[in-house]
Amino acid sequence: MDRARARLTYSLVIIVGFLTVCPVVMLALGSFSEGLTAFGTFTLNKYIAAYTDPALLGVMVNTLIFVFGSSVLATVLALFLAYLNTRTDIPFKFLFKILSIVPMMIPHLLFSVSWALLLNPSNGMMNTVLKNVFFLESAPFNIYSLEGMILVEALLDLPIAYLIIAPAMASFDVALEESSRVFGAGTWRTLIRVTLPVLRPAILAAFVLGVVRSLASFAVPSVLGMPGRVNVLATHLYEMIALGFATDYGKAAAVGMSVLATSVTLIYVYRALTAESEKYVTISSRGYRPAVIELGKARIPLFTIVALLSFGMIVLPVAVLVYTSFVPYTMVPSARAFSLMSLKHWTDVLQDPLSLLALKNSLFLALAGATLGVVLSVFVGYAIVKVRTRASGILESLSFLSFSFPGIVIGVGFMWFFVQTPLYATIWALLIGYIATYLPYGVRPMASAFVQVHAHLEESSLVCGASHLTTMRRIIVPLLVPGIVSAWILMAAMFIRELTLSVVLSRPGSEVLAVQILKFADDGLWGKLSALGIIMIAISTTLVVLATLVGEKFKAVEGGG
Amino acid sequence: MEIRIRGVSKHYYSEGKTIKALDGVDLTIAANQIFTLLGPSGCGKTTLLRCIVGLEAPDTGEISIGGQTVWSKEKNISIPPEKRGLGMVFQTYAIWPHMNVFDNVAYPLQVRNVGKDVIRERVANTLRFVQMEGYEMRPATKLSGGQQQRVALARALIAEPKVILFDEPLSNLDAKLREETRKELKAFLGNLQITAVYVTHDRVEALALSDAIAVMRAGQIVEVGTPQKIYFNADTRFVADFIGRANLVKARVRFQEGDRTVVECGLGTIACERRDIPVGNEVTLCIRPEFIHVAKGEGSGENVVNGRIDSQVFVGEAYESEIRVGNELLLAKIDPDANLKAGDPVNFRLDAAHCLLVSI
Repeated sequence: MDRARARLTYSLVIIVGFLTVCPVVMLALGSFSEGLTAFGTFTLNKYIAAYTDPALLGVMVNTLIFVFGSSVLATVLALFLAYLNTRTDIPFKFLFKILSIVPMMIPHLLFSVSWALLLNPSNGMMNTVLKNVFFLESAPFNIYSLEGMILVEALLDLPIAYLIIAPAMASFDVALEESSRVFGAGTWRTLIRVTLPVLRPAILAAFVLGVVRSLASFAVPSVLGMPGRVNVLATHLYEMIALGFATDYGKAAAVGMSVLATSVTLIYVYRALTAESEKYVTISSRGYRPAVIELGKARIPLFTIVALLSFGMIVLPVAVLVYTSFVPYTMVPSARAFSLMSLKHWTDVLQDPLSLLALKNSLFLALAGATLGVVLSVFVGYAIVKVRTRASGILESLSFLSFSFPGIVIGVGFMWFFVQTPLYATIWALLIGYIATYLPYGVRPMASAFVQVHAHLEESSLVCGASHLTTMRRIIVPLLVPGIVSAWILMAAMFIRELTLSVVLSRPGSEVLAVQILKFADDGLWGKLSALGIIMIAISTTLVVLATLVGEKFKAVEGGG
Repeated sequence: MEIRIRGVSKHYYSEGKTIKALDGVDLTIAANQIFTLLGPSGCGKTTLLRCIVGLEAPDTGEISIGGQTVWSKEKNISIPPEKRGLGMVFQTYAIWPHMNVFDNVAYPLQVRNVGKDVIRERVANTLRFVQMEGYEMRPATKLSGGQQQRVALARALIAEPKVILFDEPLSNLDAKLREETRKELKAFLGNLQITAVYVTHDRVEALALSDAIAVMRAGQIVEVGTPQKIYFNADTRFVADFIGRANLVKARVRFQEGDRTVVECGLGTIACERRDIPVGNEVTLCIRPEFIHVAKGEGSGENVVNGRIDSQVFVGEAYESEIRVGNELLLAKIDPDANLKAGDPVNFRLDAAHCLLVSI
C-alpha cells in the first residue's frame, strides 16, 4: 500500500514536474540561445538586446502603472462591495452573488472588445452619444489609454478579489468590532482601526493576486493598449514574437524571465498571505448574525453604484456584442440601425472555414483537455491531501507553481520546447500547454474534495469489511464526483476561451476561438467578432450553468449536511 | 472474545521529535465486557484502539483477538482491518453522506455478499434494536447528531461482530443528549454478548458505562480495574486525581496496625485503609469531598479533624466549601440545610476506609 502510494507520488512528481518545470527551463535556456533554430549555443546577446532596448523603459513604466492601478482599483471596489454585502442593509443582496460569478462567463477578450466598441475615440457608441447630447467637439473618453486599460482590467479582476475578501469579511468575528464600539469608537474609527487591520491579509492577498493577473493579462493590453501604442510587458513580448518579419524568441525569453520571476515570487507571497488570513479569521460562528449597519439615506445612492457596476460588468458588454453582431457597421442604436439589422455577420462566420476550424479546435481542446486535466488532477489531489510525504509536498508546490505562469511568457517557454519536437504547430502542443498552465484550476477543487472525504469515512468502510477497491468504488469515488464535475467544467470553460498561451502556440491549422477573435479585432471586423464571441460566451455559459446544476444536484443528495 | 495486547509500542516522528504514542502496552481485555480506555487527550488511548482495529500498525508487540493473532511484529503477521471482522463507531460517526440510512447500515453485509432479502430483514431488525425503525430511506445528512450515533451503532452491530470498538462516540453530542445516549448505549450493550472497547476522556462516562477501566497516561497503562476500584481504591495519585475530585494531602507513614496504615500529615495523625508502604515513606493522602461530613463546633477522637470554613459557594444541590485545617485547604460538600457560614468552626471524622493512600 505504502509502496504503491510512494510510486504514484513519484510518477506524479515527474509528470507535473515535466509540465511545469519544462517550459521554465526551456525559457531560461532559450533566453541564452541565439534563436529557435540555433538552440543550445550559449550567448548573452539576447539579454543585452532585450534590456538595452530603449522602448523597454517606457514599457516598464506603463506596466507598473497599469498593474498597480488596476489592482488597487479592483481591491478597493471588492472591499467596498464585500462590506456593503456582509455588513449593511443594502437591498437586493442577490446582485452581489451574480456580480461575483457571472462576469467569469464573459471572456476577458470580449469584455475588452465591448468596452472598445463603447468608448473608442473615433466611433465608440457611448462617446458618440455623449458628443451628440452635449455638443462636444471631440470624444470625451478614450478607452485606448492607460486609464481605460486600468478601468477594464480592474473590472475583470474584481470578482476574484471579491471572492477572496467577502468570505474573510463574512467569517470575521463581530465581537472584535463590538468591543471596539463598547470602548467608545464610532463605526468609522472601528472600520479603520479594527476591521481593516484584521482583514489585512485577505486584502493584501486580493491585491497581490490582482497584480499577478494583470501582469499576465494580455486581452486588455492587446485590445485597448496596442491601438493607442500603450505597450505593457505582455504586448511588448507579443510584438517581439508575433509582429514584424524578424520574430525574436530569444529576446522574448530574456524579457520573459524577469516577468516570470516577478510572478512566481508574488504568487508565493499570495500563498503566505492566504495562509495568514485563514489563521486570522478562523472563528467558530455558532449561529451568530453579524450586526447589520443601517445605511439610512446612503442606502439608495450606494445601491445605485452597485447596480451601475453590475450593469457595466454584465449587461452592457453582452448587449453591445449582441447588438454589434446584427448591425452592418458600428453605429449608435437608432431606428435606422434597427432597420438595417441582419444575420449577415452570423452567416459569414458560420461559413468562414477559419472560424469553423477554430470552433472545432477549441471544442476539442476543451473536451479532451479538461478530461485529461481532471484525470491528472484527481491523482494529484489524492497525493497532495491523502499521502503526506515530502514528495507530495513537492508535488503540491509544483502544481501550485503554474498558477503564477503568465500565459504569454510560458507560451514562449513551450515554444522553445515544441520546436525541438514533432508536436510543433499541432493542436497537441496547445493541449499540453493548456493542461500545464491551468492544472491548478483542476487540482484545487479536487484537493478540497479530497479534504472533505474525512479519513473516518474511508476507515469505517475498511472496518466494515470492505476491501480497498470496494472502498474506492463505493465510498471515495461517489464522494468525489461533485469535485470531479466542477473541476472538469472549470477547466473546459477556461480552455474554450484560452487566449494568452494560444496566441503564442497556435499556428495555421491549430487556430482557436480566442485567436480568431483577436484576428477579427485587428482587422476591425467587429460584426463577425461579435457573432463568434457570442458563440463562445454561449458555450462557456452553458458549461458554467451545467456546473451549477450538477453542484446543486449533488448538494440535494447530500442534504444540508 | 478476549483481546490480548503484548508489548505494543508506537512512535511518531514529528518535526524532528519522537512522540511515544504507545509505550510497551500490556493489556488483556476480558470477553463480553464493556472495557474503557480512559485518559487525558494525547495519552495514546485512540492510538491503542486504532491498533486493535488495524487502522494503525504498532512498531513492536503482538495483538490477538479471540485467540487469533491479528498483529505480530516478530511473526510478521498483519491482518488488515477489513479481515478482522470487528465493528467500530467513530468519533465523527463517519456516516457516509452520499448514502441513505439503509445503505449505511447494510454496507457491512453488502460487502460480504449477503443475499438481498436477508440484508433487508437484518437491517430492519438492527434499526429496531437501536430504535430507528422506519428511517431506512432517510438521507444520511438529514439525521440529527443522536440519530447519526444510532445509525453508526447499527452499522457496527449488523454483521454481529464479537468485538465492537467505540472512539469517543458521545463527544459530539450536547450534554443532555450525551447522558441519555450513554444510558441507552449501556442498555444496548448489556443485551448483547459482545466485547466492547470504549475510548473516552470523560471520567463520568467511563465510570457509568464500564465493567472495567484502564487509565492511560503518556502511552502507558497506569491502572486497570473496576470503576469502584479505580474510584475508591486507586494505586496512584494520578489516577485518584483524574477519576474524580480529590483532596490531596502530603503525608508520611508512621506505622502499620492491622488493616490500617497510620500516617502523619497536615490534618494530624490519620488512620487509613492499609497499604503496604514502608514506614517513613512519603505518600499522598486522598480524600474525596463527598466523604467529608462536617459538623458544627469542635470534636475529638480518632480520625477527627477540626477546622474552620474558609469560604463557600452555593452550587445548587449543596454548598461547596473550603475548610481550612492548619495549612491545608480541603474541599467538602455541605448540605444546604447545615446553616454554616464562612468563619464557623467545624469538625469531621474521616472513615479509614475512605482515606486512600497513593504514591506521590
